[in-house]
Amino acid sequence: MASPFLLLLLLIPLCLLVLFLALSFLARPKSVRIPIKNRHVLITGGSSGIGLALAKAAAAQGAHVSILARNAKRLEEATEEIKLATGHMARVLVADVRDPQAVAQALEEAGPVDVLVCNQGVFVPMELEKQDLEEAKFMIDVNLMGTFHLIKAALPGMKSRARETGLPASIAIMSSQAGQVGVYGYTAYSASKFALRGLAESLQQEVIAHNIHVSMIFPPDTATPGLAEEQKKRPELTTIIAGSSGEMKAEDVAKKALDGLKEGQFIIPCNFDGTMLAIATAGLSPQRSAVTALFEVLGAGFMRFVGIGFQWNWYSTIQNWHAKR
Amino acid sequence: MASPFLLLLLVIPLCLLVLFLALSFLARPKSVRIPIKNRHVLITGGSSGIGLALAKAAAAQGAHVSILARNAKRLEEAREEIKLAMGHMARVLVADVRDPQAVAQALEEAGPVDVLVCNQGVFVPMELEKQDLEEAKFMIDVNLMGTFHLIKAALPGMKSRARETGLPASIAIMSSQAGQVGVYGYTAYSASKFALRGLAESLQQEVIAHNIHVSMIFPPDTATPGLAEEQKKRPELTTIIAGSSGEMKAEDVAKKALDGLKEGQFIIPCNFDGTMLAIATAGLSPQRSAVTALFEVLGAGFMRFVGIGFQWNWYSTIQNWHAKR
Repeated sequence: MASPFLLLLLLIPLCLLVLFLALSFLARPKSVRIPIKNRHVLITGGSSGIGLALAKAAAAQGAHVSILARNAKRLEEATEEIKLATGHMARVLVADVRDPQAVAQALEEAGPVDVLVCNQGVFVPMELEKQDLEEAKFMIDVNLMGTFHLIKAALPGMKSRARETGLPASIAIMSSQAGQVGVYGYTAYSASKFALRGLAESLQQEVIAHNIHVSMIFPPDTATPGLAEEQKKRPELTTIIAGSSGEMKAEDVAKKALDGLKEGQFIIPCNFDGTMLAIATAGLSPQRSAVTALFEVLGAGFMRFVGIGFQWNWYSTIQNWHAKR
Repeated sequence: MASPFLLLLLVIPLCLLVLFLALSFLARPKSVRIPIKNRHVLITGGSSGIGLALAKAAAAQGAHVSILARNAKRLEEAREEIKLAMGHMARVLVADVRDPQAVAQALEEAGPVDVLVCNQGVFVPMELEKQDLEEAKFMIDVNLMGTFHLIKAALPGMKSRARETGLPASIAIMSSQAGQVGVYGYTAYSASKFALRGLAESLQQEVIAHNIHVSMIFPPDTATPGLAEEQKKRPELTTIIAGSSGEMKAEDVAKKALDGLKEGQFIIPCNFDGTMLAIATAGLSPQRSAVTALFEVLGAGFMRFVGIGFQWNWYSTIQNWHAKR
C-alpha cells in the first residue's frame, strides 16, 4: 500500500497546479505588452529625481519624451542632461499640475500621449498636530489633484491615439511605499498616495475598454533632491520607523517603473521589501500575471503575520521613545 | 506506533495555538475600552443618514452629543428627532468642513471632544472622463480635507481632555467599501476614501501616546438620503458592479460603528461582505484583537483568491457591456 506521506507529497504539487490553472483563467485584465519605442511618453515632475531618470530611460529606449514641471530653468537643464545622455531632444512643458487650465493647455501643446507618467510629488513629513494645514493641502493638491488634472486632460487624446494606432496605451502613477502603509509623520503624504490607489483601481475599470492600462509604482525612499529636502525636516520617530526600508537610486526605480508599465503591471514594487509589501497589501487590486497571483495567494497569510510583526515593532518603538521623555 | 493521520490531527491544532499565542503577543496597539456614557461625542454630517443614526445611538447610550453640518435648518430638525427619540438635547454646530476657520470655530464652541466621528461625506459616481473636475474636487475637499480640518481642530482639546480624565478618546472616520476597493465610476470617491486610510494608519501612530484611538468604518451602500441622490446619477456599469454588496440600514451601520469604536477597533466592517473585504484588504493595518488577527492570517490567501475572482467577474462584465454597443 502506498505510503501516506508519498500521497501527501503528490497532493501538494497537484493542488498548486490546480490553483495556478484557476488563477490563469481568472487573472484580469489580461496580459498586455506596451511598446514605448517611437511613442510619446509624457513625464511630470520630469526635471529631477525619478522623473528625470525615467525620461532618460525612456529616451534611451527610443521614445519621444515630453517632460512637464513648474520651473522652466530646471526643465531646460533637464533637457540638456537628457540630450547628453541619450541624444534625444525632449519636449519641455511648463505647468503647475495644481492648475487644471495650465495642465489642459500643456497637454494640448504636447499632443496625444501614448504613455502618461504622473510622477510629480511633494513630501513634507510632520505630525498632523504640528503640521500647517496649508502644507497638508499642498501635498494633496500636487500629488492627488494634480494627477486628476493630468489624466482628465490627457484621456481624450490617449483614447483616440490608441484607437488610431491599435496600440495599447499606459497611465503610470507614481505612488510610494507610503501608499501601502501609513506611518508616523505621514498623515498627508500617505493620504495623497493611498488616494492614488483608489483612483487607479477605479480608473482601470473605466479605461480598459479603450486599451489603456493603468500602472502604479511603489518605490521606497529614493536618492533624489526631493529626499534630501525632506530628510531635513523629518520628525525623529519618522526616521526611525521609515528607515526600515532601504534607499534606492533613481535610475533603478526608473528601470523597474518602465519594465513594469510595459507589461501593464498594475502594482509595480521596486525592491524586495516592496515586493513583500505588495503581497501584504494586494487587497482587491487587479492582477494580470498568474504567477504573481499564485505568490500573492500563497504568501498573503504569512505577509499578514509579518505585517502585524512590523506594527508590534513600530508601536513598541513609539512607546519607548515617549517613555524616555 | 501512532497513526500518521493522528499525528497530523494533533499538529494542526498545535500550530494554530502557537500562531494564536504569537499573535496575542504581537498584536498592537493593545486592546482598549472606550466608554461613551456622559462623554462628549461630536458627529459631523450629523443631520441625516448614518450621522443622525449615530447621534441617536450615542444619545441612547448616555453620551453628550454634538452634531455638525452645513445646513442650520436640517440640524434643527435633526435635533428635534434626537430629542423625540432619546430625550437628549444635542448641541448644534453649523459649519462647512471645507473651511478650516469655520471648523476651528465650531470645535472651539463645542468644547473638548472625547469621541470625534468624522462622518461627513459626499458621493457623485461618474466616469472620470465625463466628470467635472469641480465635482471630483468637491468629494476630495469634503471627504478628505474636511477630515483633516476636523482632526487638526479637535486634537488639542482631545489630548488635554484625555490627559485630565485619564480616559481613552476616539477618532472615528467614516470610510466605505469604496475605500477598500475602487470600481467603475468611483475614481474621485474611492480616492477620497482610500486617502482616509493613509491618514488613519499614520495618525494612530502619532496619537497612541495621547491615549487617542483611531477607528475606520467601512459600510456598504446604506439607505440614506445621500444614497437616493447618488443612485439617480450612477453610470449603469457602476450599478451592476457596485450592486455586488448588499444594502444596509443606517441604524445597523451606526450600531456597528459605535460597538467598534468603543473597542478601538481600527477597521470596522459592517456586514459579512465587509468582513471578507476587511480580511482581503487588511494590509499593514494595526490589529488589536488576536482572534481577528488569526482569521486575517488564515483567511488572507483565500480572500486574495476570491478578490481575483471578483475582478474576473467585473472585467468580464465590463467587456460584455461594451461588446453590446
